[in-house]
Amino acid sequence: MSRETLQESLSAVMDNQADELELRRVLAASDDPEMRATWSRYQIARAVMHKELLVPRLDIAAAVSAALADDAAPAVQQAQRGPWRTIGRLAVAASVTVAVLAGVRLYNQDDITGTQLAQQAIQPMLSTPQASGQAMLAGFNSSEEAVGPAVSAVGQGQPGWHEQRLPAYLRQHAQQAAMSTSEGALPYARAASLETR
Amino acid sequence: MRFIPFSALLLGSCLALPAVADEGQALLQRLANAERTQSFQGTFVYERNGSFSTHSIWHLVEEDGALRERLLQLDGSAQEVVRLDGKVQCASGALADQLIDSQLWPARELNAEQLSEWYELRVLGKSRVAGRATRVLALVPRDQHRYAIELHLDQQTGLPLKSLLINDKGQLLERFQFTQLQTEAPAVVNLEPGVGCRPVRLSPERAETAEAWHSDWLPPGFSLSSVTQRRSPASDEPVACQVYDDGLARFSVFMEPLRGLAAEDLRTQLGPTVVVSRRLKTGDGDVMVTVVGEIPLGTAERVALSMRAVAEVAQ
Repeated sequence: MSRETLQESLSAVMDNQADELELRRVLAASDDPEMRATWSRYQIARAVMHKELLVPRLDIAAAVSAALADDAAPAVQQAQRGPWRTIGRLAVAASVTVAVLAGVRLYNQDDITGTQLAQQAIQPMLSTPQASGQAMLAGFNSSEEAVGPAVSAVGQGQPGWHEQRLPAYLRQHAQQAAMSTSEGALPYARAASLETR
Repeated sequence: MRFIPFSALLLGSCLALPAVADEGQALLQRLANAERTQSFQGTFVYERNGSFSTHSIWHLVEEDGALRERLLQLDGSAQEVVRLDGKVQCASGALADQLIDSQLWPARELNAEQLSEWYELRVLGKSRVAGRATRVLALVPRDQHRYAIELHLDQQTGLPLKSLLINDKGQLLERFQFTQLQTEAPAVVNLEPGVGCRPVRLSPERAETAEAWHSDWLPPGFSLSSVTQRRSPASDEPVACQVYDDGLARFSVFMEPLRGLAAEDLRTQLGPTVVVSRRLKTGDGDVMVTVVGEIPLGTAERVALSMRAVAEVAQ
């Protein structure tokens, strides 16, 4: 069976135009990574045509298969013992749930990023100077992902060292600014915001 | 003949550009003067990632020019600062407990000319904040080493009614915004400190350790504005602290000896403030260099990598 025939079948499946034979052909080849990649590309192309946001390379099926493969062994080993069998099944179910949830979370994050990118492409941060009208640095987003207090320690050797010191450093920095500048209320507000968690 | 239109164009742009820049500079200059000459009272909100708070401000310019100011947080704990002529008279405990010799540092005036070297001033137009007409002035950084600031300045008084800090991706890092402003002089009774406001202690320490450090690289326009030394929050080690600013943005650099303790490099961001820690090897053992400030992550990282012990440079 040639690659072209398979791709034609795949295309037909996506368009709901596939006959029984084509559907079987595609299902039979569904473990082929190249086939999956093609499927993914077709989905993107379709999403673009339909102006949908879609996450490329989100392969929930693969993640679920992997989770099942990992969990299958203990489930089989404990097969003869009654209670364990049930637990084993529960474990499989749980890890499938985790895989699906992980997929959903990824999807949402990428979705948000995609939306932002789209917004930024449409509205550059600073428009050219205008005498009147839109008086905003347009297109800003307070993104949790980029601005959040995401501690990205390169390694977690001894987290205690930083935990003991960084809050005091942060507060000293803010308080020095609040007490020694004539910039008005902003440095004070920054310092105060560190006290109200 | 070919040169005439070109030179006319050149002349035209020379005439036009200063006019735009001048308006921005004039707005900045007016802002710098406004807080010294204008009495006001009002309430404002401050918002950054993970924090939203509301505050009152009373700002009184007395007849002899003396400047009295009181700031009070309205929600949560009653954070408070009372200032006389820019010097802190008292502050609620939590707001001043990390200070060592706050009153020894000169308050820096806003310098419009100096700022326009590092920020492009763009007048974006008009807006309305706290029910008042405002002019919008954007300070757009000329390089990648500082954030953009959008200021909404009161048309009547020149006071900043709204200030946004925006990163290079156009994301809002913090918002400061008045919700209500009155330009009448506040009653003196409102400027009296509350019970929680305690005098700020003064215990200047010699800063030998801080002077033992210097930076091989600084973002353009930033210069050293203060040097202090403190005890480590977690041990008895002396921690050197240097503060740098460009007239608007500022960052602090802390140098604490590790004395064999294990600690990894770290990068984090809290709203507008970035924190970068990097281990530095010196002849006297490893030192953790921590940069804290309202500057982009990459800039903080480069500063942290550029700190050197003066003794080592001399050798």
